[in-house]
This record gives sequence, structure tokens and C-alpha cells, in this order.
Amino acid sequence: MSATATPPAAGGAAARLQTARAALARGGTSAWMPYVYALALGAAIYLLQPALIDGPGALDARASAVVPLALVAFGQTLVMFTRGIDLAVGGVVSTATAILATKAVGSTAGLVVLLLALVALGAFAGALNGAAIAATRLQPFIVTLATWSIWGGVALVILPTEGGASPPQLTTWVLGSFLGVPKSVWAIVVLFALWLWLRRTRLITDLRAIGSDEQRARLIGVPIARRKLQCYALSGVLAALAGIWIAAQTGSGAPNAGDPFILNSVAAVVVGGTSIFGGTGSAAASIVGAIAFLMIPDLISALQLSSFWSVFFQGALLIVAVTASSIAVQLRQRKAVA
Amino acid sequence: MSFLARHRPIVTAYAIALVLLAVGTIHSLDFVGGGQIRTMLIYASFIGIIGLGQTLCILTGGIDLSVPWTLTGAAVLTSQLTADGHALLPVIVLVLAFAAVVGLLNGLGVAYAGVPPIIMTLGMNGALQGLLLVYTNGGIAATPPKALTDFVLGDALGVPNQLWIWAAVIAVGCALLSLTTFGRRLYAIGTNRRAAELAGVRVRRVLVVPYVLSAVGAAVTGLLMMGFTGQAFLSMGDPYLFSSAVAVAVGGASILGGSGHYTGTIGGALVLTLVASLLPLFKLGTAWLQIAYGVILLATVYAASLRLTRKKD
Repeated sequence: MSATATPPAAGGAAARLQTARAALARGGTSAWMPYVYALALGAAIYLLQPALIDGPGALDARASAVVPLALVAFGQTLVMFTRGIDLAVGGVVSTATAILATKAVGSTAGLVVLLLALVALGAFAGALNGAAIAATRLQPFIVTLATWSIWGGVALVILPTEGGASPPQLTTWVLGSFLGVPKSVWAIVVLFALWLWLRRTRLITDLRAIGSDEQRARLIGVPIARRKLQCYALSGVLAALAGIWIAAQTGSGAPNAGDPFILNSVAAVVVGGTSIFGGTGSAAASIVGAIAFLMIPDLISALQLSSFWSVFFQGALLIVAVTASSIAVQLRQRKAVA
Repeated sequence: MSFLARHRPIVTAYAIALVLLAVGTIHSLDFVGGGQIRTMLIYASFIGIIGLGQTLCILTGGIDLSVPWTLTGAAVLTSQLTADGHALLPVIVLVLAFAAVVGLLNGLGVAYAGVPPIIMTLGMNGALQGLLLVYTNGGIAATPPKALTDFVLGDALGVPNQLWIWAAVIAVGCALLSLTTFGRRLYAIGTNRRAAELAGVRVRRVLVVPYVLSAVGAAVTGLLMMGFTGQAFLSMGDPYLFSSAVAVAVGGASILGGSGHYTGTIGGALVLTLVASLLPLFKLGTAWLQIAYGVILLATVYAASLRLTRKKD
């Protein structure tokens, strides 16, 4: 009786609060941890060196650094939904920057064609991984370790040492603002939007199903081979885009530009709360994980430590985050058994 | 089953090595002459010594990706500390203990926390890289101690000391896998962890050991390599990330764990060294070597998976 007596507006608010609370509880701790990490690190940096957060150009600088990692981490998330891992992203990023640094492009049309070709190359590299993994049931880490070696070698063949010059138009396309907002921020917004659209699609549901139980997924008719091919191909495309972004940003190339992205993308995904044991997680959280992860160098410089410390803390953060989540999974399993 | 049939993957590795040797000799007679074999064996020993730990890790279904910076770390620490005036032997003991701690952390993470080996050791590699960059401030000035270079380049009974050490590693590795209960337990865990647990194997405790041995092996290789090349540099460990894993795979070990032997890895190390010496004959540099590693790795694990499915049928 009393339920019908309450005004509809208040009932709506209470219900909304309840659904929000339920959503938070359903996601578990890991679902909102990346936001806590990002806010805490951001607050610490702001207290030490406010200019790193709200100084002129700080937002643009931060966002441009985040874009390539956010791209790679997005793809890595999709792969990790299936309990896989894509180590080849390192080689693909390197190859893309190496090609851009050595190809002289005269016209805008030529550059567009080159960029499209690079994206196609990324899709090809990823599809090759996916095909090898789906067709032979080889473990993802060994297949992508091999293709990382291959694409890293290809990058070295194209560009033996650091240097070269990427097309100057490319740099002007990426720099600056659009509608008063830095283009790098737009890129991140587009990635978030892509996830909001993608997460409702059949692809993501299927990838999660494969990750939580491949046998059962097969039984309910998930096209496993096709889905694996698609997620590795997407990861390859995103890695190629990251390579393009880096080439535009730095104006030159490096044959091993991609190598740090292997550890960093896995770390962004893990910090973002996506389970390394497959099945759950979100690419949006990985992007936030990437933002938090790339605050470490700023925190190091705000503390006036040698910049080399950030390499240590980034590796250490991956170890700590992954150990914590693995122990949590073990405890949950023990509880389920008991 | 005859000896050949039972050990087909391992025999295949040595057969490939012989074929590569033949290809090199046909291309140019200098390929095997003038102390070339000796040089090739020394290069193979670097991969071979690292390969023991990697074999043990892969036998349990894991992998150690922290090899490169453990190797570099051992070399850099030794050159820096001896240059600061510390005696060589205590420094070596300290460096090996440091490596053992790195391996122990990897092993604890994998065995007790349940972290996938690939992610645990990837993170460890990054953390070590950071520590070493901080320690050296991004560059090294010190040269390796003379005692170490003299030892590594020295001979005993006409055989380089370096190869004597490899021989000792081979003896220990083969005995460990073929004669001890520890070896049997490794195979048991790699084949079926649950079954090994039920059979009374303390899986977690055993699982830590391969990572410790792998890190110590990497450190020993780092010391030997520094002695051999006469310098320590920050990228010296990079090639061993791929080559150690590829040598194990070429040696016929299953990446899924449970099958393989160090004798195969030795063959794998020989194959990789021969490939590395053959490529320059065809005017292909280190970039092509890296591509070759990838292709060889894909081919061998694919062949191994075919073997596995055939066995099941």
C-alpha cells in the first residue's frame, strides 16, 4: 500500500539509486578501482605540482600521451576477454612508425592512402595471429611472441636505427584543437564512444562468453574461430593506429618504439580491472587505467626523482595489480568450493 | 618403441642442426674451418646456459620473460661494483643471490598468487629495467674486471673455460631432469597439475624452483657474456628473450608443459647459433635473425601441436 502512496518522482529516484547501487555491487571492487587510481594519482600530482594538472597545455600534453596507449589497451582488453594476450602489438606499433618515418609522401591523397594501407597491415597482422590461434589451438602468448619477433624484425629492416622523418602534414593533423578542445581529447572521447557502442554488440558478448568458458560458448553456438580472428584483427588495427599517432607526435620513427606498449597495455588493462582470467571487464576502464598508468611519470617528476624511476614503478604497478587480482580470484574460488 | 621414435622431436633438432651445417659448408668451406666451430659452440653456450632454466619453466607450462634484464643486471652490477673496488668473488656471490631473489619473486607470484607466468615475468622485466636505469643513470662507464675476462677467454685442456661451464650445466640439467624426483615432479606438474597434487606433489613449492634456476642461469650467462665481449651494455640481454624460448621450442618441448628435455634445448641452441651464422652469408643482418626466430618459433610449436593431436587420435 505504502509503495503506491509514494510520489512517483521520489520512487523513481529511489529506484534509480538502487539500480546504481546494484550496478556498483555487480561490478565489484575492480570495476571502480581504475577511477580511484586515476583520481588519487591526479590529486597527488596536483598537490605537488599543480601546473602538471591545470597548467597551460597540460591537458593536451597528457591526452596526447594517453592516446596511443589507450588505443593499444582497447585492443588488448578485447583479446584478454577471451583469456588471450597480444604481445605482437609491440612489433605492429614499431612497424607502423618505421614505415611512416621512411616513406616520403608528396600529396595529401598519397598520405591518406598510406595511412589506410597501414591500418590494413595492422588488420592483416592481427588476423594472422587470430587465425593461427583459432585454427591450431596454440596458446596466444606463444603465437604472439613469435609474431612480435617477426614484426619487430620487419621494423628493423625498414628503419635500422632511430630517425627518419614522418610526413609533416600528419603532425599538423594531430596537433592543435578542434572546436576549442585538443584533438587528443577528441580521440579519447571517440574511443569511449566506440566502447559504448561496441559493448552492446554481439561481438563483445561472444568474446566474454569465450573467456569465461570456451567449451560452453561452443555449445551455445558462439562462432569461436571467427570471434577470435576478429578480436586479434581489431587489436592489430588499433596498434597500427597507435603507431600512426606516435609517428605524428614525434615526427620521426624508432624501430623499437612499440616495445614498451606490451607491458604498458597489459598494465592498463589490469589496472582497469579487466580479469586476466577472461570473461569480464571493460575497454572504457582500460582507457582510465591507461590515464592512471601514465600519471606515474608525472608523479615521479613532481617528486623530483630521476625519470628512470617511472620505468620501475610502471613494472612494479603491473606486478602488484596482477598479484592482487590473482589472489582475489583464488580466494573467491576457495570460498566457492567451501 | 625404438630410441629414435621415442625421441623424435629431439633427434629432429639435431638433424636440422646438421642440415644447417651442411648448407653453410656448401656455401663456403670457411664456414666450419679456422676455429669457426669453436666460436659457434661458445655462442651456442650462452643460449644453452639460459636455456636450462627456460626449459624447466616451459616444462611446467610457464615461461620466463624476465631473462633479458636479469642477464643485463648481473653484468652491469658486477662491472660497476668491481670498478668501485670490491673484490670479484663476493660480488659474484652477491649478484647470483640477487638473481635468486628475482627468480624467487617470479616463482612466488606464479606458484602462490596464481599470476600467469607471462604477465608476472613481463612485469618483473620492466621493474628490473627501471631499477638498472636508475642505478646506471642510463649509461655504463665501467669495464668488466680483468680476472673475469681472463677466465672466460682462457682454456683448460685445449677447451675454452666457457665450454667447460656449459658442460657442467648440461650434466646438472640432464641429471636433474632424468635422475631426480624433482625432475619427475616437474613433468608431473606440467602434464596435469591437479593429478600431481593428488599424487602428493607439493606443487606450489616445486613450481618456484624453475624460476629461481632460470634467473640464476641468466645471471651466470650475463657474467660470462660480459667476460667474453669485454663490456657490459644495457641492451645485451635483449636477444635472449626470444632465443631462449625458441631454443626450447626447437628442442621439441611442448609449450603446454609436461614434455621435452634439456638435451633437446641443447640441439635448439645449436640450431639457432647456426642460423645466426648462416644469415650473414646471405647478406641478412640481425633484423632478419629476429624475423627468422619468429618464423622458427611458429613452425616448431605448430609441428609440436600436430604431434600432440596425432597422439590423441
